[in-house]
Amino acid sequence: MPKVASYRANSVIYFQGDVSDKIYVLQQGKVSLNYTDIENGKDIHEVIQTGEFFGVKSALGKYPREENAVVLSDAQVLVFTVPEFEVFSQANTRIIMKMLKVFSNQLRRVHKQVENLLEKSEAESPEAGLFKVGEYYLKNRQYSSAKYVFSRYLTYYPAGRMAEQASRYLEVAESGSVKYGDGKGPAPMVAEHSRPAAAAPSPAPERPERTPGADLDGAAKDFYDAKSLFSQEKYKEALSGFKRLVESNADPEYTMKGLYEMGRCLFMLQQYDVTIKHFTQLIQSYPKHPDLVDTLFWLGQSWEKKGDKDRAAGFYKKILAMEGDEDAAVHLKAKKALRALEEAAHG
Amino acid sequence: MADLSSFTRFARTYQPGEIIFAEYEPGDSFYLIQAGRVKISKIVGDLEKTIDILQPPEIFGEMSILEGAPRSATAQAIDVVKVLEFNRANFEVLMMGNPQIALRLLKLFTKRIWDQKRRFMILTLDDPQAKVADVFLMLAETSAAVSTGGEQEGEKREFKVTVEDVAHWAGISIQEAQTVLGHFANQRRVELFQDRIVVRNISDFSRFVNSRRKK
Repeated sequence: MPKVASYRANSVIYFQGDVSDKIYVLQQGKVSLNYTDIENGKDIHEVIQTGEFFGVKSALGKYPREENAVVLSDAQVLVFTVPEFEVFSQANTRIIMKMLKVFSNQLRRVHKQVENLLEKSEAESPEAGLFKVGEYYLKNRQYSSAKYVFSRYLTYYPAGRMAEQASRYLEVAESGSVKYGDGKGPAPMVAEHSRPAAAAPSPAPERPERTPGADLDGAAKDFYDAKSLFSQEKYKEALSGFKRLVESNADPEYTMKGLYEMGRCLFMLQQYDVTIKHFTQLIQSYPKHPDLVDTLFWLGQSWEKKGDKDRAAGFYKKILAMEGDEDAAVHLKAKKALRALEEAAHG
Repeated sequence: MADLSSFTRFARTYQPGEIIFAEYEPGDSFYLIQAGRVKISKIVGDLEKTIDILQPPEIFGEMSILEGAPRSATAQAIDVVKVLEFNRANFEVLMMGNPQIALRLLKLFTKRIWDQKRRFMILTLDDPQAKVADVFLMLAETSAAVSTGGEQEGEKREFKVTVEDVAHWAGISIQEAQTVLGHFANQRRVELFQDRIVVRNISDFSRFVNSRRKK
C-alpha cells in the first residue's frame, strides 16, 4: 500500500541524479520540480498541482532523476513503489491514459529537438531512404521484400523522383520471385554480372528528353498514378486511370503503355471476355508493342480462366516458339503454365 | 496476458518473411505481438543490421505517435506472426480495455524519452571527439540500465557496434567518425574490431566528455 509522507518547506524530496523506484502524488502543499532546459540552458521551475504525479518516468525507467523536487511550502505526498503503482494503475486506466498523453507529447517535443540538431547532418529524405531499402533487398535477391518496398514506394510517391525506376525494379523483383524464388538466382542490378539484362523483362524505354530526377509530369505522372493504384490492387480505379490516359492521348508512348495496362486491369477484374477482346485489338493496332509477349501470356491466361485449355495452350506455345530471351520471366511463366495444363490433361 | 479476445477485429497475421513495415515508410499504427517472432532491422550502408528480435507480448512501431515521422527500422515476420494493430482510431478503446498494455506502453515511452534526451545531449557537444566519446558513455549507461552487475569488470567496456552506428548516434559522417575513432585508437583509448569496439577506460571518456560539456 502506498504510504503518506510529510515534508517541510525548503526540504528536498529527491535530487537530480538520484536513482529510486518511488513515485509521488502531491496531496497538499507546494512542490516544484527544478531543472535546466536541455535546449536553451534556462532554469525551469515547474510547480506541481495537487493530485498530480511526479517522479514517474525516472522510477519506471530506472533512470536517474532529472530534476530536484523542492518543497516550497509544507507538503503531504502519497508515495508508491513501482510495483504498488503498477497495481494501482491497473484499476485506474484513466490515469495511465493521461500519462500516456503527457509522455507522448514529451516524446514528440524531444524528438523534434533532436531533429532540429540533425537537420544538417542527416539529409536523407524518407523517399530516397525507402528506395534504397528496396534496392538493398533486390540486390540481395530478397524479391518479396523488394516487391513490398517498391510497391509501397509507388503508393506513397506515385510521381516521385524514382517512380519510374521503382516500377522497373518492381517488375524485376516480381520476375525474380517467379523465376528463382527468394535468395536464389543471379544478383540483379550488379553491373559486372554477365546476365543483368536477363533479369529485367522488357525494361521501359528510356526517354532521353527527360532530365533524370526531374519530377514526372503530364502523361507520365498519370501513368504512374494509375500504376500505383494497380499495385495497391485497386484495379477498378487503376483501369479508369489508364483509360483516361489513353483517351487523352497526350503522349503516344504512354497511350501504348496505358492500353497494355488496361488489359491487365481487366484481367484482374476477372472480365476475361473483355480482356481477350482488348488484348486482341491491342496486338492488331500495335504488332510491335514492347509488351507483346506479355500480352500473349495474358491472352493465354484469360482463355484458361474461361476453361478453353486448347486455346490457352496455343498462346503459351506461341510464346515459347518466339525468338527472344528464353530466360525472360514471361517465357518461364508460359512454360510453367503450359506444363501445368499438360499435366492436368494427362493426370 | 490480458484477455484480448474481444479485439480480434484489430488482429493481423503475417507469414514468415513478410514485411510488416519498412524503414522510412510513413506509419500511423503500432503493434502488439500475440504470437511469433518479429525481426527489427535497419539497412546500414550495404548491410542489413538486426537491431532486435521481439516476441509476445512486446510492442513495436510505437514511434508512430510522432506524426509524419518515417519508420526508423523495418519489421519483418520470422514465424507466422499474429499482432494487434493499434492506430489513432482504436487506441483509446484498446487501452481502456487493457490497462496492462497501457502500462507497458507507458514504460516504453519513458525509455524512448530518455533515449532521445540522451541523444540530444550528445548532439549538443561541439567537438566531434567528445560526441563520439559520449556515444560510448550513453551505450554504457543503457546496457547498465538493462543488466546490472557488469561493474566488477573494471573500466574496460566492449560494445557491439560499428563505425556506422557510432556515426549515426553522434550525428556526424561515417568518415568523420572513422577519423575520430582512428585517432582514439592511436592514443590506445579504443580498440577497433570488425564487429565491436572496445573502450579501454570508460571513466577516462567520462572525464573527457564532462570537461567539454558547457556548464
